[in-house]
Amino acid sequence: MIDVAAMPNLTPVLAEIMLTAGAMLLLMFGVFTGERSTPTVTGMAVALLAGAVLVVALGEGTSVTFGGAFISDAFSRFMKIATLVASAVAIAMAVGYARNERFERFEYPVLIVLATTGMMMMISANDLISLYLGLEMQSLAAYVVAAIHRDSVRSTESGLKYFVLGSLASGMLLYGASLVYGFTGHTNFEAIAQALVDGRSVGLVIGLVFVLAGLAFKISAVPFHMWTPDVYEGAPTPVTAFFAAAPKLAAVALMVRVTIEAFGPVTADWQQVVSFVAIASMLLGSFAAIGQTNIKRLMAYSSIGNVGYILVGLAAGTQAGVQGVVLYLVIYVVMTLGAFACILAMRRRDQMVEDIESLSGLARTQPFTAFMFAAILFSLAGIPPLAGFFAKYWVFLAAIEAHLYGLAVIGVLSSVVGAYYYLRIVKLMYFDEPLVTFERMPAELKTVSALSGAFLLVFVLFAAPLVEAAAVAARSLF
Amino acid sequence: MPGQPSDWTFLAMAAPFVAAALAPAAKRAFGGAAGWVLAIVPAAIFLHFLRLVPAVAAGEVLSGAVRWSERYGIDLSFRIDGLSLLFALLISGIGTFIVIYSGPYLKGHPQQGRFFGFMLLFMGSMLGLVLADDFLALFVFWEMTSISSFLLIGFDHNRMAARRAAYQALVVTSGGGLALLAGLLLVMATTGMGSLSEVLAAGGALRASPYYPAILVLVLGGAFTKSAQFPFHFWLPNAMEAPTPVSAYLHSATMVKAGVYLLMRLNPVLGDTVAWMTVLPIFGGVTLVAGALLAVRQTDLKMLLAYTTMASLGLLVMLTGAGAEGAILGAATYLLAHSLFKGGLFMVVGGIDHEAGTRQVAALGGLAREMPITLAAALGAAASMGGLPLTIGFFGKETMYEALAHGSGLAFAALFAAVIGNALMFAAGFAVAILPFFGRRRAPNPHVHQGPAGLWLGPAVLALCGIAAILFGAWTGRSLLLPATLAIAGAASGATVSAAIHLNLAFALSLATMALGILVLWRLAAIRGAVARVLAAIGWGPDRGFDQAIAGLSRFAALVTRTIQTGNLEMYIFVTMAMTAIALLVPMGLFDEWPSWPAFAMPSIAETAMILLAVGGVAVVLGTKQRLTAIVSLGAQGFAVAMLFMLYGAPDLSFTQFMVETLSVVILTLAMTRLSLSPSDHRSVPEFVKDGIVAIGCGVGFGFLLLAATEAPFDSRLSDFFAQNSRAIAHGHNIVNVIIVDFRGLDTLGEISVVMVAGLAILALLRVRTRGKADEAGEGA
Repeated sequence: MIDVAAMPNLTPVLAEIMLTAGAMLLLMFGVFTGERSTPTVTGMAVALLAGAVLVVALGEGTSVTFGGAFISDAFSRFMKIATLVASAVAIAMAVGYARNERFERFEYPVLIVLATTGMMMMISANDLISLYLGLEMQSLAAYVVAAIHRDSVRSTESGLKYFVLGSLASGMLLYGASLVYGFTGHTNFEAIAQALVDGRSVGLVIGLVFVLAGLAFKISAVPFHMWTPDVYEGAPTPVTAFFAAAPKLAAVALMVRVTIEAFGPVTADWQQVVSFVAIASMLLGSFAAIGQTNIKRLMAYSSIGNVGYILVGLAAGTQAGVQGVVLYLVIYVVMTLGAFACILAMRRRDQMVEDIESLSGLARTQPFTAFMFAAILFSLAGIPPLAGFFAKYWVFLAAIEAHLYGLAVIGVLSSVVGAYYYLRIVKLMYFDEPLVTFERMPAELKTVSALSGAFLLVFVLFAAPLVEAAAVAARSLF
Repeated sequence: MPGQPSDWTFLAMAAPFVAAALAPAAKRAFGGAAGWVLAIVPAAIFLHFLRLVPAVAAGEVLSGAVRWSERYGIDLSFRIDGLSLLFALLISGIGTFIVIYSGPYLKGHPQQGRFFGFMLLFMGSMLGLVLADDFLALFVFWEMTSISSFLLIGFDHNRMAARRAAYQALVVTSGGGLALLAGLLLVMATTGMGSLSEVLAAGGALRASPYYPAILVLVLGGAFTKSAQFPFHFWLPNAMEAPTPVSAYLHSATMVKAGVYLLMRLNPVLGDTVAWMTVLPIFGGVTLVAGALLAVRQTDLKMLLAYTTMASLGLLVMLTGAGAEGAILGAATYLLAHSLFKGGLFMVVGGIDHEAGTRQVAALGGLAREMPITLAAALGAAASMGGLPLTIGFFGKETMYEALAHGSGLAFAALFAAVIGNALMFAAGFAVAILPFFGRRRAPNPHVHQGPAGLWLGPAVLALCGIAAILFGAWTGRSLLLPATLAIAGAASGATVSAAIHLNLAFALSLATMALGILVLWRLAAIRGAVARVLAAIGWGPDRGFDQAIAGLSRFAALVTRTIQTGNLEMYIFVTMAMTAIALLVPMGLFDEWPSWPAFAMPSIAETAMILLAVGGVAVVLGTKQRLTAIVSLGAQGFAVAMLFMLYGAPDLSFTQFMVETLSVVILTLAMTRLSLSPSDHRSVPEFVKDGIVAIGCGVGFGFLLLAATEAPFDSRLSDFFAQNSRAIAHGHNIVNVIIVDFRGLDTLGEISVVMVAGLAILALLRVRTRGKADEAGEGA
């Protein structure tokens, strides 16, 4: 007989249950109706994610379930909504591509939904075990998605690389988690923090470093970034767009929760690691990107650099820092999705073009795309008054308030270098002679890039509600 | 409440942006007259600010604010004192004539509407910059001037040179802008003050701050790049690729003065220190002399003016850093004079270019008869530039000589630089005003006319202003220059501005300057040759340095990518493992917490055998060339470890290990033998050593960690729990059994599921293999 009192409270996990059940149903539907079900499955998957947004948005307060392993608070709801939206957009952006490249696989949306479920677990993880469960669920789906273009050598190679390095990172994370458990006797974040109040041993620091190393891999921070450019280039472009957006949100949210909630008492220890990783990522992201000729590789280095800036906010370890991280993530995801919408539109004669030079003179052949892309690039470069500037401003300000001057200065300098390669593309689009003419931009990509560009342009006027929501989210961790 | 002065000021700040948006439409609606129509906007702004002059002259500081971002306390606020007002009047006043001038100058250009838009956009940014009170608003306007100037320099974007110049200007000035941002943020973070008013009211707080050196360097980085101080000057001459109205407006009268404005604005709070009074005069003085020398070597009239602009900016920076009140009054006067004469001279050169078809000195001459008004305007402006009596330039020069002559040491060097620089600029100014107009009649275009009114109105009015400013010197001084001096220096005595000549040391120096200037003008060709020879001998300049830096950046990026992003998975794993070794060993080293070596206990025979088997297995893995041997040996090592677990009393762990080893041997064998990979190890000896070091590092690290972990006091809570509860709750006598099937029953279920799934995967692999063979057979048949 099941003891009703022992039944965990399922209300906080309603959205996750919905997604899991929905993903399995969609998979069954796909398997039984075959490839022609792809449009239906895609539409249903987007609807499912939209429904999950509603369910998440209805939650309020802080509630904990599954014996403290799962937490639902303002921070998790904020990040979950952002993640769900990013995943839904990633599915929608793949529609035209899948049709043109003839790889309409119903597995793609299903895998994205499964990965998203994993991400939501990551965001809500309040325990080392649930952390790992969420992370692996997301990663396993992601490995498969990277290699989904089975007949393409590049795609399979990138999937394999991602898998090998990813499992290495998972191993390191597990190793670190077991050390943390061994030295504190707890897996629950609050209990770990409680155990650390009276001081910590070196073994714990090593465990902490390994946990952070595993997480650094997932957010592609230096020195665990090596997979990023290869996977970004090799995976089909809509998959790359997905990788660049939603998983970053979830992994950073996870990293924030682990460092602030579980390792809050040993802030000084992880601050050094996070600062080092932030500096290395910012520098590598900006310098290595300059020589790139492939736009997807460029975006890979751009994401490495942006992760560095995000970690600057985390390194501050303050509420203002976390708020900066949250806002940066949202703005970054909007920029990334917009940029990939433009990249996905780079097609000519039925083939994707990935060469940066081929964007030359885009302003003359496709003024709309060029304008939106330029707005996104200016924002990525951090030019005021676009949203990207404020994202950087908040994290640097948090670092300065936490007296991390070196970090802030290196951040500003590397964003100057970073601006160089973003603005070079603007220069190509507006000042150079057109080399090729792309096909017309499909409606869904046009919508995504227009929404993204509009968000970045008017952010300065309507920032208040988002900033307020981010403040509420950050406050729930302190 | 509408009608308040502050509301009008906000309207004046917003008007250029609105006009910029409407400019293309205005161009379509009014055609050739669009310039005159659009000029109403700056003219109205000029009148608005003129109306504020009496109040500001009476010592009032006008301000107003609207909240921009509540949460972050960012205000869109303005502050008008003598300095901002002087700038605002120059920007709107000269802007009016530039807009009028742009009409005929770019007549028939297909993108003239866009040009007007960019121009007004720039005007709005520049106005915002000099009026802004809030630091962040100041920074935003600062960067907006960089961006709009980028658009204007690159306006003629079909030419490579224009694109390069635009790009170079953007990189240099917005890079400096970020340095400025860092400086302002540092001020905000360390003092909590977010606006100019607060900082100015706090007096010496910044000077006393321990961050003063950092703030100073960052602010100077912003100001020097914007105001083209040596060695950041190279972008300014290159920016002459822009259409002449742009050069006349941005690169003489307004944008490049933004850096000077910032220095003057912060002089009361950052100045009066040894660092300030050393750095500014040195950079300013070097820029002055270098700019003036480079100017006389030019043969293109516009380039010649560009270098004199650089020299003038150097002079202003030098005077701002000199600190003495007289020097500041001289700087304020020279600021006004320079904007008037340089804007005028640029428009003169543009007019000549437009009519005669060239700007080359050697190809021009005898235009005096065809272009009399232009000649008059040019002579008036050159007189002010050369500092002849009865011009505002004369008063500025006398004042600065007077102030510098009473200093010592560095001030004396500054005086020397000022005399040399002014003499060279005298020569340059008259070279522009005389050479094209007199001598033998020559011009590429035979039909030279005076040209439309728009082309000569601006220079004529500005030249007249240069003379009127001194004729009505009492008004100019009381209303503009002394309030500006008060704002810059923090104090101003009642010096009178007049055209009167005093026979003193300063006048003697003025005469020397003119004499030297005439000498230079007379021997211009010889000096030009000499400077050119020196430059050729040096053979390197910051302009080339910029290209080298950009190319170097690309090369560095390529090098980084080639080294760390080889696309080779082995390399990636090497880096990851190396980081693992570092993460293990470095903390132990840093905290000096190496594990202590445990006492040696003789292992039993069984244990020894198992250890030997494990070591032997690893040795064979390392030594063998055969893939299959390696897999099996690795399996043997794994089984030995599983046996060790068993011997130390952990049968559950041992059981799991056996399962995992079996499965991995089977799967690896299936997978590896199926893949036709080359069986040999392709690594060279150094690579082998490198990998070996990392492997040993990781092994040692993990070993040490294990030792350290076992040294920690044993936590018996779990053991106690199972000992107490195995019987009571699970009714079992064997604790291990109880754990496997009861307390951790779900784990066991999970393990079994994993084994089952793995088994299924093996089955699938086997089936794939047979099907592959069948396919091959089918193809063969």
